[in-house]
This record gives sequence, C-alpha cells and structure tokens, in this order.
Amino acid sequence: MNQLIPLAMVSSGEMVQVVDVRAGFGLQRRLADMGLTPGVTIRVLNSQMSGPIVINLRGSRLVLGHGVAQKILVKKV
Amino acid sequence: MAKKIIIALAGNPNSGKTTVFNNLTGARQHVGNWPGVTVEKKEGTCSYKGYNIKVVDLPGVYSLTAYSPDEVVARNFIVEEKPDAVVDIVDAANLERNLYLAVQLLEMGAQLIVALNMMDEANSRNYRINVEGLSRLIGAPVVPMVAKRNQGTMELLERIVEVAENKVRVKELVINYGREAEEEIAKLERLISQDGEFSRKYSSRWLAVKLLEGDEEVIKKFKEVKVG
Repeated sequence: MNQLIPLAMVSSGEMVQVVDVRAGFGLQRRLADMGLTPGVTIRVLNSQMSGPIVINLRGSRLVLGHGVAQKILVKKV
Repeated sequence: MAKKIIIALAGNPNSGKTTVFNNLTGARQHVGNWPGVTVEKKEGTCSYKGYNIKVVDLPGVYSLTAYSPDEVVARNFIVEEKPDAVVDIVDAANLERNLYLAVQLLEMGAQLIVALNMMDEANSRNYRINVEGLSRLIGAPVVPMVAKRNQGTMELLERIVEVAENKVRVKELVINYGREAEEEIAKLERLISQDGEFSRKYSSRWLAVKLLEGDEEVIKKFKEVKVG
C-alpha cells in the first residue's frame, strides 16, 4: 500500500513524492522557498541511520538534517 | 556630469553574483565555489556610456522572507534604497528553483532584470531556454550569460541603462491568492494607502501580503508608527 513514511526512513537511491510537511509555519515556508513543496518528486541520494540526508530536488542537491527529514512525509512512486 | 545609477545584484546562493560583480566593477572579490560567500553587501562602481553605475552585491538568498539575517539585508536594501534596477542572477541550469526569487522580486515591484547565468552549463544538459518567451512571460528583460567567461556583460549593461532610464518599465506582479486571502489583502491595502508615508515608500499590496504572512520585520515597521 501507499503508506506515508517520513523522508528520514527512505533508503538511498529511492524516488519518493512529498505529501505533507508536518512542521511549523517557519520551517514549512523555508522548505517551500527551496522548492520542497507537497507534490514534488525527489530522489534520495544518501541516507544513513542518523545524520543528514542528501536529496535531489528539482535538479539541485539539498542536504537536510535528520530531524527535518522526520517531519517530511512522503510516499513511494 | 556623469549620471548616477544604483543597481543591486540579487540571486540564489552560488548562482554567480560575485562573478558578475567582478565582471562589472573590475573588482577582485573572492569567489568561492560554495554557497554563502557573500554575507554582507559589497559595493563597487562601473562606468558605462557616460553613466556612473554603483553596483551592490547582496547576499545570496532563496527567498525574501525575514527568515535569516542575509534575507533581511537583501530585502531591506531593495525595499528601502529602491535601486534603479535589481539584477537577479539566475542559474539557467536550475531555472525552476531560481525563478521563485525572481517572482518575489517582481511582487515587490522591483525594476527587475534577469541575468540567465551559466548558459553553458544549461546547454551541456541539453536544456533549450526560450529567452524571449521567458522575458515576455515574466515581463522583465532577460539576458543570457556565461559570467565566468565574461559573456553577456555588455548586454546586461545595456539593459541596466534602459531600465534605469525608464525606457523599459517592469510592472509589479500581482498574484491572485484566492478569494479569501484577496478580501483581506484588499482591506489591509485600503488601510495602508491612507497612510501617506507608507504608501509613498512601499507597495501597499506587498505590505498587506507580508502582514498576512506574519512577517516579523514588516510587523515591526507598523508597530513603530505612531497613530494619531
């Protein structure tokens, strides 16, 4: 099934679609400023059990803290 | 007497603002291949066709909220100093993300010129950008460039002079935020336009939108105003 999972749990190499950003207005806005909006498809380039994760977002690489990645809910595509 | 023009260089981090700055002013500011090289604004001058152009290099930002000090520095300069033209250095290879800032600058009513930098990089990725179409769509001049090889600098200077001399006017972009938000924006706009000081200095629609966003810097401005 197409369950929602936090971006932090997605393995390297996988493509996912952002569904929701469960964060305060400030962080939501900040992420949207960089193009991370609901509906956008991203590829996880590097993700470990802890530490920052690297994604490819709209043609550029973006590094997110683990805590931030926990707040981004995605589904697999 | 040489005519004076003030321009600002804006753009996302790592889009080549400082390289363009160096091309324009002949300065040798340090250019680093990482974002965030410019933390405060730098100034230089350049002479072109009898004009004395003051160039201000702003910190690289993704957005013009009041989120970080760099954004506030960049935004305040554009809003308060009202440069004759704002050159937004856009990474042509990352157009979608970069144009977000361009839209925000247009919403502020800036006299925008889009410098489409790193055209070589875009070409090598097989991107074909319709420069004229883009210019028509956003209503502002667009100049393709490869700043690291100093390509496009002359055309950029031409556009800067045209915009500064009012031969080209860039219209404030009005985005429809939907009925509910628009009703509130209209109410606030009416109130703001009753204040001579505010409406002379700023776009009242822009202030209204920022108030609704809960923008701390803009709210602070309103708190400073003495009523009555």
